[in-house]
Amino acid sequence: MYALKMSGVSFVYEGAEGHALDDISVSIDEGEFVTVLGANGAGKTTLAMLSNGLIPHAIKGTLEGSVKVFGYDISKHTVAQLSTLVGMVFQEPESQLFCMSVEEEVAFGPENLAIPRDELFKRVEWALDLVGLKGLNERSPATLSGGQKQRLAIAAALAMRPKMLVLDEPAYALDPVGRIELYALLRSLTEKHGMAVLLMDRDSENILEFSDKVVLMNSGRILTVAPPSEILRDIRNFRAIRVPPPQIFEIASLLNSRLTGVDFSFTTLDEAEAELLSRVPSLPRRGDTR
Amino acid sequence: MIPKPGADRSKRMIEMDNVGFTYEAGVEALRSVSLKISSGEFLAIVGGNGSGKTTLAKLMNGLLRPSSGSIKISGAPAESQSIAELSKTVGYCFQNPDHQLFCTSVEDEVMFGPKNLGIGLEESRERMERALSLMGIFSLKTMSPFSLSLSERRRVTIASILAMTPQVMILDEPTTGLDADESSELMALIRKLNADGRTIILITHEMKLVAEHADRVIILSDGHILLDSDVRGAFSDLEILKASRLLPPPVTLLASRISSIGISRDLLTSDEFVFELSRRYGSR
Amino acid sequence: MKGVFDLYTARDTFLHRLDPRVKILAVLFLSLLGFIMTNLIPLFTLLCFIILLLYLTRSTFSKAYFALKFVLRLMVLITVLWPLFDQSGTPVLAALGPIKITEPAIWRGLTSAIRIGCLATVWYILMFTTTQRDLVRALVKMGLRYDFGLALAISLRFIPTFGFTIESIKDAQRARGLEFDKGSIIRRSKNYIAVLIPAVVYALRTAETLSLSLQSRAYGARKDRTYMREIRMRSSDLVSLVIVVLLFAIPAVAKFVFGAAI
Ligand SMILES: Nc1ncnc2c1ncn2[C@@H]1O[C@H](COP(=O)(O)OP(=O)(O)O)[C@@H](O)[C@H]1O
Ligand SMILES: Nc1ncnc2c1ncn2[C@@H]1O[C@H](COP(=O)(O)OP(=O)(O)O)[C@@H](O)[C@H]1O
Ligand SMILES: [Mg+2]
Ligand SMILES: [Mg+2]
Repeated sequence: MYALKMSGVSFVYEGAEGHALDDISVSIDEGEFVTVLGANGAGKTTLAMLSNGLIPHAIKGTLEGSVKVFGYDISKHTVAQLSTLVGMVFQEPESQLFCMSVEEEVAFGPENLAIPRDELFKRVEWALDLVGLKGLNERSPATLSGGQKQRLAIAAALAMRPKMLVLDEPAYALDPVGRIELYALLRSLTEKHGMAVLLMDRDSENILEFSDKVVLMNSGRILTVAPPSEILRDIRNFRAIRVPPPQIFEIASLLNSRLTGVDFSFTTLDEAEAELLSRVPSLPRRGDTR
Repeated sequence: MIPKPGADRSKRMIEMDNVGFTYEAGVEALRSVSLKISSGEFLAIVGGNGSGKTTLAKLMNGLLRPSSGSIKISGAPAESQSIAELSKTVGYCFQNPDHQLFCTSVEDEVMFGPKNLGIGLEESRERMERALSLMGIFSLKTMSPFSLSLSERRRVTIASILAMTPQVMILDEPTTGLDADESSELMALIRKLNADGRTIILITHEMKLVAEHADRVIILSDGHILLDSDVRGAFSDLEILKASRLLPPPVTLLASRISSIGISRDLLTSDEFVFELSRRYGSR
Repeated sequence: MKGVFDLYTARDTFLHRLDPRVKILAVLFLSLLGFIMTNLIPLFTLLCFIILLLYLTRSTFSKAYFALKFVLRLMVLITVLWPLFDQSGTPVLAALGPIKITEPAIWRGLTSAIRIGCLATVWYILMFTTTQRDLVRALVKMGLRYDFGLALAISLRFIPTFGFTIESIKDAQRARGLEFDKGSIIRRSKNYIAVLIPAVVYALRTAETLSLSLQSRAYGARKDRTYMREIRMRSSDLVSLVIVVLLFAIPAVAKFVFGAAI
């Protein structure tokens, strides 16, 4: 079964002129890590909010096409019902953490679902452990660092035991190391817990290696859906969505176009090192003209 | 007309001597920071979240006063000057544009600063128009700031600081939330401000930006300066970068790994890397 | 920021462990006593008792000082000013033109000051020993609707954040040369528009995401919501409750049934 299946989906926000999403069809398998890449205005947030029914239930507009999560039609179920299937993490860490302690934040969702008390304790401990916030139960969410806040938001979603996690640019304000730590955490969720992850992002640098599949979006349309290895075959993929390519891959493309007689295909640092060290010294040396 | 600030490189704009700062809550955000910034520099202050970048910036224009040590702005002790006075020399552009926009039109927003400084309507208006042109948003003059995109709102806030004609502009994470195109357009405008002679202090944790634009880098970690060097020097010490929760651009890592084939270790951008290789190898 | 608003100090005392419902009732009863009592000695005894309890909260000196500073000032003010306005009774101790200071007025002033002292300080026993979270839980347990309790909790949670944002907005405007405490009153109040508008915009934005976030976490999904932390009345809480009731009932009965002068 698909974790998410969208067919022919278009959406226009109430009062807006253009389409925020324009005839989108895409599917995500269970346990798959999918990254949606696109510049601002590409439609990532809209796509995210469709996947747990916030659109059309909480945000008004004209929706066409069908969106199903684990077989359930989002327009026929409430956001609360869908919350046990899809966990949602928003872009701004501050306004999605509204409880007075870390523990309450995580328990909030399951409490609403009337999960029995002893199970609540188990879930809270499980979720905090998973995101690396164990032992901070009594802290106020407001006092956590940016990275910890995003982890807490993830834990709060996980505690409802969803089968898919949707995250809208959760790393946008994090420092580079914080960003990678977050990606690694998400990857471990798919690997260890079979969770499907749908991540919206606008930075290609570190995310491709973590993804099973990449969706390229531009102004409300999906241009390509493919595994990273395929996306990394043609630099035009990135130009089309106005997202800079990973730098190492960019170097390979630039070298191929500037130097004759080479056809580099490296996409990672290790590959680049190996290919360059083996190929470059055998290239004809230019007369040291300076 | 905004008088063009001269870029007399020998002129010392900011001088900090052994500055420490502790917040009321007892958080020691900066420890013994000493630095000198000259006129016309393009300096990047980098460091992970919570390393003290914003605190350092607020000390430079008097929003915070040091708990210890001394600060001189343009040669004069900062402590004897009010924030309003300091803001004529050191402009500080906040991270979040929504923390300052409140007027009904972009022009009012940009004229707010000059008016506060007691500048006449006529000149305020001239400054506003010039600042809007510098940020490439003259056409938004009569729009409401609240109807603009984040990228446009950020430019409005920068223009509103520019209109106070400070010699030094501090930009606190100006590209956060922008996409690549928006960010490179903004950086091009900021470079022009620098080319006109203004001193630019860019606060960021995007090392690609730093590699492309800055001349000098100060790395902050846990409230103290780990490194203060020219931009190439800053990228050559990978350990220091990691220790401060930063990552060098991949090209720098690659260059250092393959330096055995005779290319320099401290390449900063893809273009530099490709140029360096194609200068040495391959027929035309 | 936080320290100023949140008076709670984490300690492990009897008062901290006490069921917050009992604490709320105790504080209510003690303030009622303050109202009922009209004589100096009983009121003074009550004040001493409250101060003893406050001492037992083991709050930090700075918090206690912050909290009690205002109360003390108020008490001194009442003691000093009362005789100036209440000129009835004899003997007259001093007279200066139309103003005369009488002995009963001095006693009445002192009594009022102590009563105000009781009423104002008794709440700190609750605030020093109970987290905002437990207060809200207790109120919900005592019959407040869960939605209202949640709304209250969320407001309390966001007060420091909001305060922090306002500080940041003020700084952003100061960096544009705005001087808040300069100029006429009208000028000064106008200055605050530059803070008010961004703050309102911020609040509205926060509220919007907040609402989406609540829905995404199944808010209102079921009527039979469970609670991870339940407040339970233990035997020690029950005993305390009995003591609290007696403490209130005995003086009240003495006064209203037997006409004791307290
Ligand atoms: N609440 C809204 N009302 C009207 N238009 C909106 C709203 N939110 C987004 N849009 C528009 O929908 C398009 C897609 O936006 P969004 O999904 O937010 O993109 P992204 O998250 O990739 O930046 C944009 O053109 C944007 O202007
Ligand atoms: N108003 C404040 N009160 C108390 N601590 C603060 C305040 N502002 C910042 N801090 C703390 O000071 C340190 C440095 O913060 P900041 O200068 O904002 O870092 P950066 O801008 O590098 O992210 C952090 O530990 C932060 O939590
Ligand atoms: Mg978005
Ligand atoms: Mg900062």
